[in-house]
Amino acid sequence: MKRAILAALGLATSLSVPAAATDIKVGLLLPFSGVYAALGNDIEAGFNLGLERFGDQTSAAFEVVREDTEVKPPVALGKAKKLILQDKVDVMVGIVSSGVLGAVRDMVHGAGVPLIVANAGNDEATGAACSPFITRMSFSNGQVNRPMGTWLHGQGVQKVYTLAPDYAAGRQMIDGFVQSFTAAGGEIVGQDFTPFQKTQDFGPYLAQAKASGADAVYVFYAGGEAISFVKQYDSFGLKTDLPLYGSGFLTSALYVDAEGPAAEGVVTALHYVPTIDNPANKAFAEAFTGATGRVPSEYAVHGYDAARALIEATKAGATDRASLANALRKVSFDGPRGTLSIDPATNNLVQPIYVYETVAGADGLTQTVLAELPAEKDPVNGCVMAPVSN
Amino acid sequence: MFRHSTLRYITLALLTSLALFQAFTAAYFGLEVLTEILILAMLVVALDLVAGFGGMVSLCHGALMGVGAYAYTTVSVTLGISPLVAMAGAVALTGAAAWIIGAICSRSHGIYFIMATLAFGQMAYSWVFEAPIFGGDDGLGGIPRLDLGFLGIDLNDSRSFALFCLAALGAVYGAAVLILRSGLGRSLSGVMHNEQRMRALGLTVWRVKADVFGLSGMIAGLAGALAAQHIMYISPGLLAWTVSGEALVVVILGGLGTLVGPLVGAAAFVLLKHELSAITTYWHLVVGLVLIGVVMSRANGIFGWIEARWGARLDRRLADATRKSAPEEVLNDA
Amino acid sequence: MTHDLGFWTLQTLNALQLSMLLFLLSIGLTVIFGLMHFVNLAHGSLYAMGAYFGASLAAVGGYWLGFFLAPVAVAGVGVLLYSGLIKRMRRSGPMAQVLVTFGLIFALLDLTRIFWGDLALALDAPALLDGRVAFLGVEYPIYRLFVIVLGLAIFGALAFVLGRTQIGAMIRAGVDNDAMAACLGINVERLFFVVFCVGCALAGLAGVVAAPLLSVTPEMGLQILIPTLIVIVIGGLGSLKGAIAGSMIYGFVQTFGAVLAPQLASILIYALLAAVLVIKPVGLFPAKG
Repeated sequence: MKRAILAALGLATSLSVPAAATDIKVGLLLPFSGVYAALGNDIEAGFNLGLERFGDQTSAAFEVVREDTEVKPPVALGKAKKLILQDKVDVMVGIVSSGVLGAVRDMVHGAGVPLIVANAGNDEATGAACSPFITRMSFSNGQVNRPMGTWLHGQGVQKVYTLAPDYAAGRQMIDGFVQSFTAAGGEIVGQDFTPFQKTQDFGPYLAQAKASGADAVYVFYAGGEAISFVKQYDSFGLKTDLPLYGSGFLTSALYVDAEGPAAEGVVTALHYVPTIDNPANKAFAEAFTGATGRVPSEYAVHGYDAARALIEATKAGATDRASLANALRKVSFDGPRGTLSIDPATNNLVQPIYVYETVAGADGLTQTVLAELPAEKDPVNGCVMAPVSN
Repeated sequence: MFRHSTLRYITLALLTSLALFQAFTAAYFGLEVLTEILILAMLVVALDLVAGFGGMVSLCHGALMGVGAYAYTTVSVTLGISPLVAMAGAVALTGAAAWIIGAICSRSHGIYFIMATLAFGQMAYSWVFEAPIFGGDDGLGGIPRLDLGFLGIDLNDSRSFALFCLAALGAVYGAAVLILRSGLGRSLSGVMHNEQRMRALGLTVWRVKADVFGLSGMIAGLAGALAAQHIMYISPGLLAWTVSGEALVVVILGGLGTLVGPLVGAAAFVLLKHELSAITTYWHLVVGLVLIGVVMSRANGIFGWIEARWGARLDRRLADATRKSAPEEVLNDA
Repeated sequence: MTHDLGFWTLQTLNALQLSMLLFLLSIGLTVIFGLMHFVNLAHGSLYAMGAYFGASLAAVGGYWLGFFLAPVAVAGVGVLLYSGLIKRMRRSGPMAQVLVTFGLIFALLDLTRIFWGDLALALDAPALLDGRVAFLGVEYPIYRLFVIVLGLAIFGALAFVLGRTQIGAMIRAGVDNDAMAACLGINVERLFFVVFCVGCALAGLAGVVAAPLLSVTPEMGLQILIPTLIVIVIGGLGSLKGAIAGSMIYGFVQTFGAVLAPQLASILIYALLAAVLVIKPVGLFPAKG
């Protein structure tokens, strides 16, 4: 709230640090208004926390210019051009929606400005449309869901019904799961893709899932749709006979409180869970809660790790666009999510995936990690990585 | 019947010289903003043509622009045909689509007309959003710009592209004036003021409406093809109904039925948006309040207000200088 | 997939539930239009405010406090809007009024974000309405039945008030011909005011009722606006009959469209709207002939 007021007064538009040996100008390109505003705010909070926490490890000083994409690709592209050509930033961080990433991709690649993707998960960005200047510190749609197919079949689930919103990310998430689930010998008994952000009532789809004879339902929903879906799923009493599984965004820390008891017992997989048991995560979660009063979400950790990656790159001696692009691709460290590294073939992050259950805790809902699935590289997906010339 | 008053000529000259000045002096981001204004101006001229002179308040012009952008992209990128053909195709296709929409909606009036056009716009949006050949939610990229190499012009240069858009806007504006002055335009204004009477006079009212709507659609299609070339990337968001709503806001903000006013509105809206969004993420709030303020002031937008003031001053002068008759055209337009 | 009778009963109930939710929203909008001849585009924003007020009040005193007070609070917002904006706009054309409410959408959306933030809020169904009940051979959530019953009750109450009471006769007279109604000694201005506030309260009620089913986010008002407009245009503006018919058509087309033709689900309703407007340019049951 305080941040919101500051933003309203226009005071939070830039955050500058006193000049030092190397000045790195960072363009933060995130949605601060529109449907993904909450995500943008979490990523920014994480990013600032990361700079604060690791900033003293490098001699470089960071100057941050933030721009609002409004989740509109044309707006975002205009802002990206401004950051690159007018503000002359050395590196850009951010991008929540895949559509926005698609819009700025050619610009970033053509101008040779390194971009650390802090959310957008479309498979193409580190596949056919990959670029040596685009490094992803978040996840890819397939990466989050693929391990879950094998794991779920291993739990004895044979027949699954899938549901997701009808747009590119929804289809990629479900495809990732279906691939590995059927490869493991499972059967998909039915699939529905619901009109994206236009579905108020999931009742009709839930009745179909119930009538399909499936053992379980696997879904991907995020944001407001996730809240509606989880609540409606519970209100029909389906959770007992037809357990709900999904991509972990479904019960993200960011909005699990709004889902309330309806989210209890839902098992999902994601690359970050606030209750991962390692010292780095403990420190991060404490600092984040201290700064914002909220439990960190996966979005917050994207921002935090993006800042960390940037600092690691400058520690390795990077000072300008080209050297930063090269250094970012070689970054590797132990963070809240475990051991992270960048796959040089695609520039996508390689990270473990956590299966977790949402359970009632002492104060509100919390997460229990059921399994840590080993990190896997994404398939190359047609990526031909050109080298960056210095 | 549309006429240029002295004030309108002055405003046009002023806007053109400001645009030219900006085009030759601005840095990179200034050119981006200028191009954005020029493309929006084309769309709002198209909208003012139907809404301000035909009473057809359309909530699908954003979608029509999107159709133009997608048509251009599909022909030039997916089919690999030359951008010039793609542009002509986009304009023709959007015009045809608009003609059909205009013909179907011609029987509806007022809020029903608005809603009917909204329905068509949303249909196009949903279809584009879900059809895989249009790239779905992720959109399509790698869109080429028109090759004017034979004229020695490289449109990939921002300055050249801004000037090209300015020329296109000039052509569009001229075309709109010609349409309004033609027999079709006169019939249209007759239909707007008294549809019954025009019907009684033997006019095929639906044809007039459909024809003008189709012509307006062609302009929107051109704006769309240029928007696709400007951004070099398109996504379904282009077709969302809020884009049409914003275009309508710009027309009203500038001055409905003045043709010059919407140009002023486009410049004011884009500049306001950029200035405000640099200050606060809550810029929608300010835009909303400005809109409410403008409408509450009961002036016909910014330009309508200036015209009214200008007219009042002229009236006073006329009262002073008795016997001397005023220039006819000014009185007619005030 | 073959489906038994229970499946279709379940889907019919789902369709009814969606219809009733839309009815609560559209009735306020359509009566305001019928009387005052302008479409309040900010109606969706009032619905969102209803949900936010409901969530805030429920956090203090439970669901029922929100349920009863949120509509009152939204009616209060309506009073402010009426005396601050709408009343002064009475003499301007409908276009100007539509644009003022379009501006209000932007303003109210950002105000909601400033006051309540960007994060989604929670509003849970009360314990009394939690759980499921066996009904017509299927297990159905009680809260959804509650929405259906509430919608029907409001429909019944409005049908009674509009059709059988003096104030209803006055409203109908105002819808038919407000100048004539004024000549007959009806205080039309006050009638407008009352109807506007009741319409706002109904939007607020729809918001607080929808909140436990959906999520309370700043964009919820914008997302519901188009469906509501489709409902009242299909039904015909200004009439109770039109609002209920439009809601039922929308609810059933959406629900059964999702089951029978999932690929067309999102286009179906727009195509239907266009078809209705081609055949009957003023909707199915307009208030005036």
